[in-house]
Amino acid sequence: MKFSSRTTTWTVALLSVVVMTTASACGGGSGGDPAENGKVSIVFAYWGSDARQKLTEEVIKKFEAKNPTIDVEGDFSSWDSYYEKIATKVAANDAPDVMSIEIRGLSEYAGRGALADLSGKVPAADLDQQVLASGQIKGKQYAVPTGVNAFSMVANPAALEKAKKELPEDTSWTWDQWAGLAKEISATGSGVTGAEYNFNPAFLQIYAAQRGEKFYDGNKIGMSAETVKSWWAIHQKLIETKGSPDAAKSAEIGSTGPEQSLLGTNAGAMGMWWSNQLNALTKSSGQEMTLLRMPKAEGATTGGMFLQPAMFYTASAKSEHPAEAAKLIDFLVNDPDAAATLLSDRGLPTNAKVLAAVKDKLPAVDQKTLTFIEEVKSELSPIQAPPKGALEMEDILQRNSEEVLFGKATPDAAAQKFLSEANAAIAG
Amino acid sequence: MSYVNVHKRREARAAYVFLAPWFIGLLLVTVGPILASLYLSFTDYSLLEEAQWVGLGNYREMFLEDTRFIASLRVTTIYVIVSVPLQLIFALILALALDRGLRGLSFYRSVYYLPSLLGGSVAIAILWRKIFGSDGLVNGVLALFGIEGPGWVSDPDTALGTLILLHVWTFGAPMVIFLAGLRQIPQSFYEAASVDGAGTLRQFRSITLPLLTPIIFFNLVLEVIKSFQSFTQSFIVSGGGGGPADSTLFYTLYLYLKGFKSYEMGYAAAMAWVLLLLIAGLTGVSFLTSKYWVFYGDTK
Repeated sequence: MKFSSRTTTWTVALLSVVVMTTASACGGGSGGDPAENGKVSIVFAYWGSDARQKLTEEVIKKFEAKNPTIDVEGDFSSWDSYYEKIATKVAANDAPDVMSIEIRGLSEYAGRGALADLSGKVPAADLDQQVLASGQIKGKQYAVPTGVNAFSMVANPAALEKAKKELPEDTSWTWDQWAGLAKEISATGSGVTGAEYNFNPAFLQIYAAQRGEKFYDGNKIGMSAETVKSWWAIHQKLIETKGSPDAAKSAEIGSTGPEQSLLGTNAGAMGMWWSNQLNALTKSSGQEMTLLRMPKAEGATTGGMFLQPAMFYTASAKSEHPAEAAKLIDFLVNDPDAAATLLSDRGLPTNAKVLAAVKDKLPAVDQKTLTFIEEVKSELSPIQAPPKGALEMEDILQRNSEEVLFGKATPDAAAQKFLSEANAAIAG
Repeated sequence: MSYVNVHKRREARAAYVFLAPWFIGLLLVTVGPILASLYLSFTDYSLLEEAQWVGLGNYREMFLEDTRFIASLRVTTIYVIVSVPLQLIFALILALALDRGLRGLSFYRSVYYLPSLLGGSVAIAILWRKIFGSDGLVNGVLALFGIEGPGWVSDPDTALGTLILLHVWTFGAPMVIFLAGLRQIPQSFYEAASVDGAGTLRQFRSITLPLLTPIIFFNLVLEVIKSFQSFTQSFIVSGGGGGPADSTLFYTLYLYLKGFKSYEMGYAAAMAWVLLLLIAGLTGVSFLTSKYWVFYGDTK
């Protein structure tokens, strides 16, 4: 068998294809190439549900119609893999031009130089200035809030009625009263559990504020071990009195979303959620839910509740098209047309003009949230971006809380361990 | 003569050309990253910033300060020590049963092999979560007998047990290898033994087991390596965090959390290298001790 020159040609061709594909694979994806026909192309990364993806694609189309020279490519992923994807892309110098980030990741990304300062680039005069401030770090506006949420008590009036209990007076109720009510509801035998607890740092933050302590005090944890322990005591009391399911069952429910929660499945009467989760809770349970103020600690002078941006729009520090990226963010937060599509999907808009324009279009659930937030607005504490490392806080808190509730550690030991782990996480 | 040489050289060249895609792939996708991770393991690389050299800092922190690292090592070791022998014993028993000239053997073989194909998958891990949930199938059955079972996957005392069970359930792969091994044992040995009056148990102990030791050894090494690297099961069943209370925090899961959740990629790289050394060490020990218990028919 003789190799013809044709065979050689083929092998050479094959080899060159191999070399080319590997070479282009290395150099590929640098993004933002000057696209055909003079268009500039930018990438917009976000996470969420299918519903959000549809809304976002729609809003991108609107933007492109208004800005024919800009091509926006939506980069969508699920929440679970979102940060992995973003971090990897940032590491590969291929960061999306516009990225959604939530408040706990803000310091991480801004502090590590991944985000551009948007001061003066995105008009922000009409935005709620107090909320806007949460996107600032060391005086630089790294992030623009998409909308706001409040962590609040959600109750299902129908479930309360079934247990022949009345909706509590939420301006003055205490944690003891809340736990007592939960116990009574469970005890009626109506098949409804009184409450479900959680280990959301927002819950602890509110509780700490009621005791006059800050969750984050600069780059340190501002809470005392006493506060953390008495916070666990609320959980323990609920479990002991059967006001909530036992620790194992709670751990099982806690790791799923609002759809699987006791409230969402009509198996519980009260739970604590972000106000934008009201939609999901309402949909999955088919019940009309009510937002309530969080209960207070004995003798508290402040409710401790706070508004938190649902998420932020940020721009990559290394974007090749910062002007276009800023334009997209401007459109998303300041244009009523954008809000008409997005509504409250990324929290209630904080631009007063935009909000006024879309107010009537908001679905009933959002109207309710809006009314609630306006009602409690004067009682709210100012928000701050938590320090770098805060992304880990939920895990650290959950781990140590579980050790206490499963009896694997004493509250004293766990509180010390929580504080040292939490401090270590945000010290860097 | 010279024509043959030219031909040979041409053939060799063609071989290299055809090898090239694989070889380039190996260099770029495997060897390169491996060496890069060795370098990164001596840095504080965060994914988002440039890496800074920290020498042995990561390794020191791992063994001297990081209690979660030690916890993950403990959980993984318990998992391997309990689940691998159980799985192999189970696989051997089934292989022996199937080897008795059952009709429809290939059918049973496939059925029992199925869990091995599925066991590492996300779908099965989710199924496991459901089965061992507090309202799951297991507790449903227990309820028939009036027993109120715990939430198996969400109770720190039982969570690791469910993962061990999941591993044992994937006995198919070693079983198939055992079956092949059993077929290698000459029937004449058994015939001779039964003529000498050896019973089934005696035959198993004196013929089957010794002649099967190379296969047992092979399966053992393979499964130990595989189980030290288990990730999916704990990731899905624990909901991504190794909970409850770190009771299912596998080594690789902690590595992943460090790298992608805490942005300590340098530390994660160091963990990967420690795992490599650990597995290499264990495999080495297995090979060293093998001469005392593995019996190869052809040597003596």
